[in-house]
Amino acid sequence: MSTNNDANLIRMTNQIATNLGGGRDEETAAAAVCRHLETFWARPMKQRLVANLALEGIEFSPLARRATTLLAAKLSEQQSITR
Amino acid sequence: MIGHFDPKQHAKNAAHGKDLGTPFPPQALGTALVNLEIDGVTISVPEGTSVLRAAALADINIPKLCATDSLEPFGSCRLCAVQVEGRRGLPASCTTPVAEGMKVTTQNERLAKLRRNVMELYISDHPLDCLTCPANGDCELQDMAGSVGLREVRYGFEGENHLEAAKDESNPYFSFDPSKCIVCSRCVRACEEVQGTFALTIDGRGFDSKVSAGQDEAFMDSDCVSCGACVQACPTATLMENSVIDHGVPDRSVVTTCAYCGVGCSFEAQMKGDKLVRMVPYKGGDANHGHSCVKGRFAFGYATHPDRLTTPMIRESIDQPWREASWEEAIGFAASRLKAIQAEHGRESIGGITSSRCTNEETYLVQKLIRAAFGNNNTDTCARVCHSPTGYGLKTTLGESAGTQTFDSVMKADAIIVIGANPTDAHPVFGSLMRKRLRQGAKLIVADPRYIDLLKTPHLSEAQHLPLRPGTNVALINALGHVVVTEGLEDKAFVTKRCDTEAYQSWRDFIADPRHSPEASEMITGVPAEAVRQAARTYATAGNGAIYYGLGVTEHSQGSTMVMGIANLALATGNIGREGVGVNPLRGQNNVQGSCDMGSFPHELPGYQHVADPIARGRFEAAWGVTLDNEPGLRIPNMFDAAIEGSFKALYVQGEDIAQSDPNTQHVEAALRSLDCLIVQDIFLNETAKFAHVLLPGSSFLEKDGTFTNAERRINRVRKVMPAVAGKQDWEITQDLANALGYPMHYTHPSEIMDEIATLTPSFTGVSYAKLEEYGSLQWPCNDEHPQGMPTMHETTFPIGLGRFAITEYVATEERTNRRFPLLLTTGRILSQYNVGAQTRRTDNQQWHNEDVLELHPSDAELRGVHDGDWLGITSRSGQTVLRARLSERMQPGVVYTTFHHPGSGANVITTDNSDWATNCPEYKVTAVQVEKVSQPSAWQQRFSAFDQAQKKHLAKAQQEAP
Repeated sequence: MSTNNDANLIRMTNQIATNLGGGRDEETAAAAVCRHLETFWARPMKQRLVANLALEGIEFSPLARRATTLLAAKLSEQQSITR
Repeated sequence: MIGHFDPKQHAKNAAHGKDLGTPFPPQALGTALVNLEIDGVTISVPEGTSVLRAAALADINIPKLCATDSLEPFGSCRLCAVQVEGRRGLPASCTTPVAEGMKVTTQNERLAKLRRNVMELYISDHPLDCLTCPANGDCELQDMAGSVGLREVRYGFEGENHLEAAKDESNPYFSFDPSKCIVCSRCVRACEEVQGTFALTIDGRGFDSKVSAGQDEAFMDSDCVSCGACVQACPTATLMENSVIDHGVPDRSVVTTCAYCGVGCSFEAQMKGDKLVRMVPYKGGDANHGHSCVKGRFAFGYATHPDRLTTPMIRESIDQPWREASWEEAIGFAASRLKAIQAEHGRESIGGITSSRCTNEETYLVQKLIRAAFGNNNTDTCARVCHSPTGYGLKTTLGESAGTQTFDSVMKADAIIVIGANPTDAHPVFGSLMRKRLRQGAKLIVADPRYIDLLKTPHLSEAQHLPLRPGTNVALINALGHVVVTEGLEDKAFVTKRCDTEAYQSWRDFIADPRHSPEASEMITGVPAEAVRQAARTYATAGNGAIYYGLGVTEHSQGSTMVMGIANLALATGNIGREGVGVNPLRGQNNVQGSCDMGSFPHELPGYQHVADPIARGRFEAAWGVTLDNEPGLRIPNMFDAAIEGSFKALYVQGEDIAQSDPNTQHVEAALRSLDCLIVQDIFLNETAKFAHVLLPGSSFLEKDGTFTNAERRINRVRKVMPAVAGKQDWEITQDLANALGYPMHYTHPSEIMDEIATLTPSFTGVSYAKLEEYGSLQWPCNDEHPQGMPTMHETTFPIGLGRFAITEYVATEERTNRRFPLLLTTGRILSQYNVGAQTRRTDNQQWHNEDVLELHPSDAELRGVHDGDWLGITSRSGQTVLRARLSERMQPGVVYTTFHHPGSGANVITTDNSDWATNCPEYKVTAVQVEKVSQPSAWQQRFSAFDQAQKKHLAKAQQEAP
């Protein structure tokens, strides 16, 4: 795993959060960002992103962090279904 | 493959084969029918039709020279004179409109004598070398001399004449031989009316009149853009294609579709045996109506260039020479490599890139191969780096990932906004159509950092230029929206009826905020507030407002936001759902619309059906007999990142040169070098192929059957005119690879692939080759509801029901200028070269642009002591390259510009990894740079040159060693 790629994924998520954050309350915005990641990101990218939630010193914007947390919940839900 | 002989392919459509002398009357007329009698035959034609045209429609063929139905009547040759009962004299039938009850005689002794006299005068100053003339057999003057029965020239040939006039052979594609000119002005009129360049004129008066390029300059030194409209219009051998001079008049023709830009012009490929002699734009083509540009008409020589790859090649590693292989061996080698990599690194470790240059059928097959045979969704296409934000933005707001109009719709527009597009260079045939509308009085607003050529349209009044700073599009579109809302310029009835109320209210509250006012955003965009207000008023109040945009909109960190901002503006002003309005992306490559439609994106199956949609996916699984992944795959930039980190190991690239066209070249090169297996299918050893392990020689558009879909969603047939140089059409290669991987494909003709597409893609259910033959072309959606396709979209409803306004907050790009990088670089295209230049660089188009240069404003140049032609080092956060300087007032101070048509220029060594937030479309249009005088190529260029030489040697060695 390269940190470069991780940093890039977080930067992209922050960018999405900035662009989808306008004109919505935070809950709706977080859902929109999460939905965007689900719709457009490949499986390994989502998994890599979610893995960063647990690490310290990662520069998620608050909305990006909330959306990624939401994504993490959805991914683990999916996994438990497939199991 | 069995070659099907289809007689329809080889017959010109009769309706478009005949020259009716004058065009269909303007729309204002042309409604009521007028009855008249010509030579005793009663004819009923639309009001405004000329007598010449009316007669031709009844197959009464009046001799003519200066008249042709692509140009307005001129009445100069007097050959088409007729007699009208009750009128004096013998009027020219081309300039005489029909009238109710008119009785016309086209043939009698008096008319015959007049016509013979006219011809006699022409021929008295015309060389009599018909047998050795290149137009022999294709000369209207010759035909007319025969038609009027000219038998002698009483005046002799001794008097003053033009027979010794010197030829102009400056243009590489056509010659101008004024000794054969009859001064009918067809060339001059074609340059004005069809092309809109006004490069030609008639110089002098009376006997001294002559056709002149510019102010008596050589064609190459004049404003001529070499579109060839004059050559096509010329009735004699005066303006003649060099290819016809060299090879003679063609003997058969096949109608096909151009493989350059997204306009998708129809052409008659005129042949002699297997030799393509010339391309003549097809009058029946719905996208181009018989016009073309220098690329489509003339730059086809690359197809038979000696650089064409003709044999498959393989090698173990990229520092080794190539080895020629049979098709079977090469395909087997590729398949075993792919299987081994998947066995070792997992199913998701490989992927592919479909071509936006290949046909719909070929693109469809590549993504099918990836999804079904590779077993993942790691498929992407060139649209990623150009119009992916269009797909996202328009789908979100209007519900469909495509432009809303036909090209012809521009002829009903009253105000035209062009944002980040340069139609006269990048979409020249549409640019000409737009110019025609501008000459008729439509208002023009251009939002572009550069003063583009469209602003220099002759007879254009009141053009508004909004010279914004690169990267500030969204601030500008928000300011325009703000003016519309706060000055009460909205179409409230449209919004109430057609748009989602809640989304509209949120947007209205958002956009009305004073932070979006033109006065507030002036600081950001650099565009004076009053100019923005004026532009918004013009667009909203002119009647029909149409927006055209290009990569200057999409290739930004907020590309998708900007597309949605454009859609917001169109919705708010009710400029959607009828002719003359709309949101019109000018798409770059010939089939980039098609490649998106055909499911090239990693998250979407053909027809923009998401892979996670179980119903849509289920249909594909049933048809393809496999289980498909329900998660999106990697996009091109994601593939590069994954390759560098080691999780992505093999890539199959069909007809795309990512090493040259994608941003941050050094990053791309690192990714390509990390691959264990790169399979490149292309017609040349392109930059990407130099990193490949398997080289599969592809076929040009002249060598295949299929369809392309242009920027107006028009599906046009591509027809094979010559055998594939390397023996296989691209779809056959993909099919062979699938079979070698154990996934069976058994198509015998692309029409069978289209039939499969039609069963799986809701917007294509009505499309078939038979129907394309019947209608010529079809604009999707084409299905039970719209059996003949849909020229204008969203007329009564949107695919998502109601139009959805989107919140478009301006977020400045992270790519900013500072003391180290004080200038902004933006990139673009020029007329004569196309994209990475792989095709056009192998033609005489090189004579117009044989190197990429850096354009900069004289004030920036002066500050740095730079003179025109100096070598300049351009440095960004990504890299450095060296280009020659060109001082240009088109630029605004602080902004520099270049093109990327030549690989050694390294324009993309400088561009960065920044990309659109929604789609990862690279931010080609904004790079902070510094520019300084240098004396040698950059380190990258020196490495590039060495690598290029080595790879070319590897190829040459293989070709020499071949048995």
